[in-house]
Amino acid sequence: MRVSYEWLKSMVDVPENPVDLVKEFIRTGTEVEAVEKVGANLENVVTGYVVEAVPHPDSDHMWLCKVSVGERNLGADGAPEPLQIVCGAPNMRTGLHVVVAMIGAVLPGDFKIKKSKLRGYDSFGMCCSGRELGLDDDHSGIIELPEDAPVGVDFSDYKGLSDTVIDCEITPNRPDCLSMVGMAVEVGAMLDEDTHIVLPAVQHEEGPDASELVSVEIADSGLCSRYVARVVRGVKIAPSPEWLAKRVIAAGSRPINNVVDVTNYVMFLTGQPLHAFDLGKLVERDGKRSIVVRAAADDEKLTTLDGQERVLTSDMALITDGGAYGVALAGVMGGENSEIDEGTVDVLLESACFDPGHISRTSRNLDLMSEASIRFERQVDAEGCAAVADIAAALFESCCGATVCPGVVDVYPGKAEPAVVTLRPERARALIGADVPEEFMVRALTRLGCTVSQADGALAVTAPTNRPDLIREADLIEEVLRLWGMAEVEPTLPAARNHAGGLTVEQQRVRKIGATLRAAGMSETSTYCFAAADDLAKLGMGEDGKGIPVEILRPLVADENQMRRSMLPGLLRSVAFNLDHGVSNVALYEIGRVFYAHPGKSQPDEPSFVAGVMCGAWKDDEWNAKYPKLDFFDAKGIVEQVLAALRITKVRFKSADPEAYGWLQPGRAAEVLGQGEVLGWVGNIHPEALARFDISVPVIAFELSQAALLRLAQRELPYVDVPTLPGVSIDLAIVIDESVTAETLLQRIQSAGGKLLKDARLFDVFRDPIRVGAGKKSMAFALTYRADDHTLTSEEVEAAHAKLVKKVCAATGGEVRS
Amino acid sequence: MSILDDLKAIEAEAEEGLRNAGSLDALEQIRIAVTGKKGSLTAAMKMMGKLAPEERPAVGKLANQVRANVDAAIAKRKLELEKAVLAARINAEAADVTLPGRYLSQGTQHLISQIREEIEDIFVGLGYTVEDGPYVETTWYNFTALNAPEDHPSRSAKDTFYVVDNAPEGKESHVLGESDVLLRTQTSGVQVHVMENRKPPIYMICPGTVFRPDTADANHLPQFTQVEGLVVDEGITFGDLKGTLDYFTREIFGKDRATRYRPHFFPFTEPSCEVDVSCGVCGGKGCRFCNNTGWIEILGCGMVDPNVFRYCGIDPEKYTGFAFGIGVERVAALRYDLPDLRMLMTGDMRFLRQF
Repeated sequence: MRVSYEWLKSMVDVPENPVDLVKEFIRTGTEVEAVEKVGANLENVVTGYVVEAVPHPDSDHMWLCKVSVGERNLGADGAPEPLQIVCGAPNMRTGLHVVVAMIGAVLPGDFKIKKSKLRGYDSFGMCCSGRELGLDDDHSGIIELPEDAPVGVDFSDYKGLSDTVIDCEITPNRPDCLSMVGMAVEVGAMLDEDTHIVLPAVQHEEGPDASELVSVEIADSGLCSRYVARVVRGVKIAPSPEWLAKRVIAAGSRPINNVVDVTNYVMFLTGQPLHAFDLGKLVERDGKRSIVVRAAADDEKLTTLDGQERVLTSDMALITDGGAYGVALAGVMGGENSEIDEGTVDVLLESACFDPGHISRTSRNLDLMSEASIRFERQVDAEGCAAVADIAAALFESCCGATVCPGVVDVYPGKAEPAVVTLRPERARALIGADVPEEFMVRALTRLGCTVSQADGALAVTAPTNRPDLIREADLIEEVLRLWGMAEVEPTLPAARNHAGGLTVEQQRVRKIGATLRAAGMSETSTYCFAAADDLAKLGMGEDGKGIPVEILRPLVADENQMRRSMLPGLLRSVAFNLDHGVSNVALYEIGRVFYAHPGKSQPDEPSFVAGVMCGAWKDDEWNAKYPKLDFFDAKGIVEQVLAALRITKVRFKSADPEAYGWLQPGRAAEVLGQGEVLGWVGNIHPEALARFDISVPVIAFELSQAALLRLAQRELPYVDVPTLPGVSIDLAIVIDESVTAETLLQRIQSAGGKLLKDARLFDVFRDPIRVGAGKKSMAFALTYRADDHTLTSEEVEAAHAKLVKKVCAATGGEVRS
Repeated sequence: MSILDDLKAIEAEAEEGLRNAGSLDALEQIRIAVTGKKGSLTAAMKMMGKLAPEERPAVGKLANQVRANVDAAIAKRKLELEKAVLAARINAEAADVTLPGRYLSQGTQHLISQIREEIEDIFVGLGYTVEDGPYVETTWYNFTALNAPEDHPSRSAKDTFYVVDNAPEGKESHVLGESDVLLRTQTSGVQVHVMENRKPPIYMICPGTVFRPDTADANHLPQFTQVEGLVVDEGITFGDLKGTLDYFTREIFGKDRATRYRPHFFPFTEPSCEVDVSCGVCGGKGCRFCNNTGWIEILGCGMVDPNVFRYCGIDPEKYTGFAFGIGVERVAALRYDLPDLRMLMTGDMRFLRQF
């Protein structure tokens, strides 16, 4: 809402400096987006007089002029000297009073006026058209000022253009503030000042009663709670008087003609959108024009004032000519077929109240917002419709030369009694937490236009009809608080009796997962939850167990029309981003949600996953450290650390079935299990999948179910005594078939080692077709034997070890490598 | 030559040898040659038995004396040589300490997570719980139960991502591109879930991802992070809201920052306000960073609207409360003066590893 300071000043006493009012606006809750000096940008634009205009010797359409700007240009002798200006305006002539932009002026559009040379003649300025000054759209010629216009004064001052416009952002609960009258009341309340609002009144009525000329029918009262029609006759379409045009401009609109400008002006003044129909363009039926407000039919069409044909739906309210066809899209925009134009003589004025919901939906469905729809969707004051129609009629009379017909047609099916709201001052003080006196409450609410009376120790408050937001005690308390001043309330902390907070065990464990991943060298990232429909297919990831996708109705990007069902595609895109930007060492993790929807269920499952990707090395080589390329076992190690941090036991890594894990490279992929439950997977992403994400280096990744991790996590494991007795270490290298896994071999060793074997650490895996044999491998373990209750003798160790070797070799077909 | 002279000669010889011994090995050779089993002194002392009894005391005394002297000289020289060896080793090991150290780098936490956890910890310190809710939400929880009118503009498909409702029976939406299921535009809906499921007192925050159809640019992301807060208890006042948020802003931005409460409108709170914190760049005097206002908007808040309480089955006469919402990206952008929010979502290691 653009608030003209000059206009506001006419209705309420305001501080001299608009900045002081802005502070009050902010204090009481009206957001100020900008404070603009209107007219101030017309510096060096002055009134002038054309002393002489002769045709340019070298041009058939330009003039060589001497334009006096009085004292604003002095010659060498110190006396006023006219400026030489080359001008191309068709209406230029000697003796004309003009508007001169002198050198140094900056016109709208950042048009800087400089000394120039036109066809060999110097030009020291420019005579301006209305469009060049941003006043109107007229560019047919330069502005012609009246003959009595002074010469050499600032055009802004001459025209009275100097004004300050405070551009306020009005919250949707305050339709009243989308009007100057409402703003004046608000300002009066915030400054504790009386308002002095004078509204125009019809001076003279003549002719047939409006009801003899017009009938109004509201076919569906759900669309329209009140429709007031007035008729004025004999309008003379012309440009608006300057004061009217100026206010319409200040409010942010463009002057069109006096009739249209009056409707806009009255809307800015009162907040009630009006519509003027050319009465002559409506069909006369039995001597009357007939307005019928009805729902549009599906696919019914109407060409609106902006020349666009709109396809309507049955949810939209239509103003029709006798019910037959649309003449206006109710509350949003008029129809072209009933538009005011040069030939308009009689006007049917509509002042109505349309249902906010229908207007809002209509506006959204047609993507058509107007000053009217903004106000209707926030609710206009039905009680005020008739009075506003009178104001407009009065202005048609004074500004358009119209004769006002007596009477109004007023159909008001939605009349409602204003609610009386009880305000308990004690309750207000308790909610605010400050000792606001009752007198202040009464005064503040009264200033806002409420009627306040005492009732049973409380206040009975009736809000003005243009304040649909004041219907409950809480609403009134808000008014009291914002006018009292939020800064005046002392800050306190709640006592929070009988309450304890804190992170849950699960929340702490999720933090621990992140901390472990970071300690292991991975950095956290964040990716979008949006996904492309073919993301899973590109990976080669099946949809089993992932439901159906959540589909976004209007995605921002056409191919991001789903919610992700795996975090992997997003993470791979991050890998590709890094590689594309010359970063070759990548280790990223994300803890986030995926979305599995199901037919027949409105909302999807949203399980969380812990996912990671890595490529390159942990670091580039350094002077004293070399970092090998990351491989499967780096990622597996990370997973192992996470599981260990959560004290998950019975962890297994099972070779992943290539059928089920199509996105992983066979032989470099494992299913992760804890206590027999599948927690997720770890593995090299399949090179074919990587290629589809434009990645040509190996990437290892993992994805673990957060729910499963948290389910299996334990607070602690049983304490194991630190050994006090010495142990004996023996290395054992066993040559076995390739088909025997490390897991199998270790299990055999552990079971064969009995109670005395305390540790078996694999320290080498060696393959050599000659020394080890083709299809075989040597696995070397450091074994530690120790008894809990005595120091082992060498005989005991030898016996245990011999037994272990024999059993392991028998069980695995291996033999000791000597 | 008497044996006494022999002893003295052995001592002198030993001392001479020790003086010249340049290494621990040479020293050991001398020790073996003098006091070893076959050493010269050992041999001389073995001669004692063959001496006349009257010579023995004097010779014995001298022999013991020589033995003690030689042992002491060896020990002394050994210490000297050991020190020299250590000194040489230390000298050899001296390194250029300006060479880089060796370590495996830890990873870093995402900036938004860091700030989210910081906010969580502040409120956990005030006794709050941390709650969670679905990202794909119904219009009831995202709008209706939060008192947003049926046709509130914020419900428009311009401001909300709607998704296909897989169970649309009996529901109808009059507006194209809308449905009854959406990507939550705010974490406020979690308030409703918590109030439906729990009796007051409630002191909670809900950090989480939210979505709005803003094309990603330097200042907007279609997916961003909010922290919602809610307190419901007996006797909660607007002063409690101020005290809580004053505490929060000072913890997160610094003790020297001032706050300003501007009345505002949100459907789910009444009264509502926005909170500004004094500009950290200019200290409130006004600069480019704060658009010359001296203030920076950081959050929205208000007293819980009685309608919201009623929707959630809480008696608004008995309980009052306040709610607030903080934009985490905004806090991050303010703290680091980030030029482009999109960097938060690319996974660029060079960006992530700075925090």
